[in-house]
Amino acid sequence: MLGLAVLSCGGGGGGSSSLTGGGTTGSTGSTGTTTTTNNVVDVVVDAGPSAPSSATVNTLYTTVKVCVPGSTTNCTTIDHIEVDTGSFGLRVISSALGSVALPLQTLSNGNSLLECAQFVDGYSWGPVALADVYIAGETASSVPVEVIGGSSDPVPSDCSSIGPAEDTVLAFGANGVLGVGVFPQDCGSTCVTTADNQVYYACTAAACQPTTVSSESTEVADPVTFFATDNNGVIIKLASVPAAGSATVTGTMIFGIDTQTNNASGSQSILTVDGYGAFTTAFNGQSLSRSFLDTGSNALFFDDSSLPACSTSSDFFCPTSTQALSATLTGQNDISVPESFTVANADTLFSDSTDQVAFVNLAGPYPMASGTTTFDWGLPFYYGKSVYTAFYGVTTSVGTGPYVAF
Amino acid sequence: MPTVPSAGNVKKCVLGAGLLIAVLGPCTATAALGQPEASVKSDVAQMRGSVKVTDNAGYRSHEIQMPSGTVVHEFSGVDGKVFAIEWSGPVMPNLRQTLGQYFDNYVAAAKANRSGHHHLEIHQTDLVVRSAGHMRAFSGIAYLPQAVPSGVSIGDLQ
Repeated sequence: MLGLAVLSCGGGGGGSSSLTGGGTTGSTGSTGTTTTTNNVVDVVVDAGPSAPSSATVNTLYTTVKVCVPGSTTNCTTIDHIEVDTGSFGLRVISSALGSVALPLQTLSNGNSLLECAQFVDGYSWGPVALADVYIAGETASSVPVEVIGGSSDPVPSDCSSIGPAEDTVLAFGANGVLGVGVFPQDCGSTCVTTADNQVYYACTAAACQPTTVSSESTEVADPVTFFATDNNGVIIKLASVPAAGSATVTGTMIFGIDTQTNNASGSQSILTVDGYGAFTTAFNGQSLSRSFLDTGSNALFFDDSSLPACSTSSDFFCPTSTQALSATLTGQNDISVPESFTVANADTLFSDSTDQVAFVNLAGPYPMASGTTTFDWGLPFYYGKSVYTAFYGVTTSVGTGPYVAF
Repeated sequence: MPTVPSAGNVKKCVLGAGLLIAVLGPCTATAALGQPEASVKSDVAQMRGSVKVTDNAGYRSHEIQMPSGTVVHEFSGVDGKVFAIEWSGPVMPNLRQTLGQYFDNYVAAAKANRSGHHHLEIHQTDLVVRSAGHMRAFSGIAYLPQAVPSGVSIGDLQ
């Protein structure tokens, strides 16, 4: 159902027509001329896989095909995979895999390798498996993925003690998540050097113990980094959203930067980010040095004591009238970009709209703990823009990752 | 040694404790928030961390460094009870341990969360939790608003 909806809407998205035509070329190739890979996949903001009873808000989805490595038949196509620039790697709810049994990864001692993927609102526990992942015309062969809920191994206490389980489509709000942020793996060097990393566990039938992994390449990884080409970044291009909201938002995710004619760097501002994926936001006299762009955040989250929290939806702000605000984003390379945005009353947005699930003016408070200086530019930032994410350590025609550009 | 006691602070803390009794129920020795600061030791042990204690004006900070790289601060007032917990780092801390009796409230609110996987705001009379961030970079704070010592601002804790 999602696939049809996305396809039927794709051609109508303003400004994306030049991209949606990028279907697989080189399919005939009888003259032996240069072939290119289709590097464009449709993305959509809609009410999610559990709508209407549990509709999601400002959540971006795409569709991926997952196969047992080496097989072209033992495959399944999964819609409503959340696109998340704030995480790293592909995770799929086990029920969404149907009968496709991906080979589970083991450690050198024969123990199973499981992961506790952590999110702010809960944990997703499951085994690490290998999969061939197909998105648009791209292929990631034998990439480590997490199968959420795909294990009967007992959840370690350190994992279950961060919040509720998110191991079903309903609880997760998606059939899985495709993490395409700036880092290639979900943990990095810490999980190679430190057993007590709270991410990876070695499991026997009896128990699970914290474990190191043999190398970063065995961690769950962003499939895009496994593509043969177009593997140095992604561009997310979304249609604009009117003030009253939209029931759907269409867009595209383009793989690679400066690898094809459709992903060339242009006049965008390049903001390099640090080891946390962060840049600085100047807002209301504050210098917020741990700011980030994140399609996985469904609002703009920042500290502003002049904006009251909602009485019903306390996660969000509810000003009495819509507020027009501005901030300046500055990369580690001192490139600055001003950004204007509006904050509407979230309770009003939600109550006035029965079908709308995309809001450009949705914002809420960010926790201001000591030493935490963050402006979380969530999905509303992406509406009406093309936003580049260049991965860690890659080189494009305009710079070296990690950076974001828009 | 702490040099923080003052009549105003003590009075406020006693009032706060009185209001909290109904919520706290029977005390357990395993959790920090709302418990005597001695319970910080069990948190340190559970988190397999090291602790550094610093006295500030009106409160004491217990900084716990976890092997994963996450740093947890537990703040206790002049009444010796922990009124706030902060965390920052690549993984979330064990909230069942650090929130104690409040963990079930937290889980219920997290399940009702509408703000996605990267943000959570709980604002109840007796408990505030603000948690946010993304994979490899989390931060948050949980505190008991009625137990915050007089003259201490949550935003200024260090």
